[in-house]
Amino acid sequence: MKTMQAPNQPTWRHWLRGNAFLFILLIGLILFPFIVGALTDSSPFGVPRGDRMIMRGESVRWQSVLIEVYILAILAMSYNLLFGFTGVISFGHALFFGVAGYVLGLMLEFTAIETGWALLLGALAGIAICGVLGLVVGLVTLRLKGVYFAIFTLAVAEMAFIFFGRWQLTRAEDGFAITELPLWLDPSQNRLNFYYVTLIAVVITFLFIRRLVNSPTGAVFKAIRENEDRAQSMGFNTLNYKLLSLTIAGMLAGAAGLLQVILNKKVGPELLGVSYTVDPLLMTIIGGIGTFSGPIIGAGGLHFLDVFLRDAELNLGGLVIDIANIWALLLGIIFILTVIVFPFGIIGTWQRWRARRKPPA
Amino acid sequence: MTDALLSARNLRKTFGGLVAVDEVSLDINSGSLHSIIGPNGAGKTTFFNLLTGRYRPSAGSVLYKGREITRLPVHQRAHLGIGRSFQITNLFPNLTVLENTRLAAQALGKDNFRLFRRAETFDVYTRQAYAALEMTGLREVVGLPANVLPHGGKRKLELAMILAADPELLLLDEPTAGMASEQVPELMQIIERIRTDGRKTIVMVEHNMNVVMGSSDRITVMHQGRVLAEGDPRQIAADKTVQAVYLGELYDLPKGESA
Repeated sequence: MKTMQAPNQPTWRHWLRGNAFLFILLIGLILFPFIVGALTDSSPFGVPRGDRMIMRGESVRWQSVLIEVYILAILAMSYNLLFGFTGVISFGHALFFGVAGYVLGLMLEFTAIETGWALLLGALAGIAICGVLGLVVGLVTLRLKGVYFAIFTLAVAEMAFIFFGRWQLTRAEDGFAITELPLWLDPSQNRLNFYYVTLIAVVITFLFIRRLVNSPTGAVFKAIRENEDRAQSMGFNTLNYKLLSLTIAGMLAGAAGLLQVILNKKVGPELLGVSYTVDPLLMTIIGGIGTFSGPIIGAGGLHFLDVFLRDAELNLGGLVIDIANIWALLLGIIFILTVIVFPFGIIGTWQRWRARRKPPA
Repeated sequence: MTDALLSARNLRKTFGGLVAVDEVSLDINSGSLHSIIGPNGAGKTTFFNLLTGRYRPSAGSVLYKGREITRLPVHQRAHLGIGRSFQITNLFPNLTVLENTRLAAQALGKDNFRLFRRAETFDVYTRQAYAALEMTGLREVVGLPANVLPHGGKRKLELAMILAADPELLLLDEPTAGMASEQVPELMQIIERIRTDGRKTIVMVEHNMNVVMGSSDRITVMHQGRVLAEGDPRQIAADKTVQAVYLGELYDLPKGESA
């Protein structure tokens, strides 16, 4: 891994070889709606009725499952940047997810700005406000170490949850529906477009985080994770780097929140709920803390389990158990088993296994 | 003394009612290797941490090149050319030997906020890191994670990480701590090599008498938070009070002889 590359090899070929698996996966995901469509004899565009489209059929249904995976993957990757690469544990990641969603919703529904511009402005403002929030929360709290920081972030996120749950303008705990979306992006009309938008967002997030972590700045992030005291004595003002990491992670989580609002066409305080903090945490741990693809694998795995097991029934010799009722219990058991079998997450454990098989360079 | 690179002026540090360091004044001459020794609990490590900035002194001041640095944060001291090592091995365990060392080189450069270029492509830091690894004999293991190195290798990596930043002043906290005695000479050779060009000043807190006597230009003996004696190795070895409190402890002289 650390050996020098042969200089005469064209860089794009080298790049392609190093990323072959990801590249094939990406092509698979690009073709996915059409493959499912062909296999199940359904249209990836939905069924036309009059001048509208009805989102019916297997291809369209599968698209929404994957869109949810993509959104969760972005959220988990952002969590992993902070937790897995910088070693900062936050229990308030839902704050960014929810606030960005509210900003976009307010811009679309509560201003007179024309829809397309409202979408653009709302998205930009949502991400920018998340960046500012990350900076402010970080400035106040990042001097605290470990658990104390985590508890404080939880408190901030809960405050936001309670605030939006009571705010009459946004219909308190009911939230409000998004009725104005540009037609091309509307997942209830052109879901395939939205599928590609979220897929592109995942790819950009992945490449962005990988480039960032491999930069000199990312090296400092990892150094802080490994040993903050040492990083300080070397001359790094570690607070600045943790602030940067939190701000970037917050903006990425905000981007995920924007996509969630567009998908659900609804804004409500549940966006700020603790599950949007816990889920990315679990996904990161299961997929592999501090790995690039781990959070994506974790997001896919957990969400697929959720989709398929929730409606299933467990038949124990006459005793029929509805899995939806014991879902939390089952998730807990799966989590414990995964952590025992893959102590470094799925990707992390696999990487270690491969590194051990290779003779030391 | 006009030639002092680092000076302590009446440094004092108390923890609650305990006076750990009591009015210690000391000058470290430019280009010298100055050792601080003393029995356990003499306040050496506390004094060392006052110099590195880890602790704030209760009273007194620290001067570096005549400039007051008593309250300067740890990370800013590094930028002035002060590097420190740790008694307890203090590395980035899951990063490779090269990454550990390159971070030290990068720390004082201007590229720490270059977000979108791969770290490996900054040749200056990689070269600096390789030079430090060469000097400490770690060239062969650059790709290994730091935590798989044997203890002696970790101690050498400690040194490499300080060297990569090319500091003027090296503060070494028991560089041979926990090393097997047959490995000590190799480490001392590395320290000798660091000194050969005469540009570097070293302050060393050390337990191993052989190391201190053999390599130091100057020795300060601390006892109960105070300076008991200061001089070159010959003077210290001949000093009766030092023999009583420190060497006596090591060579098991009867307690009644302490002054």
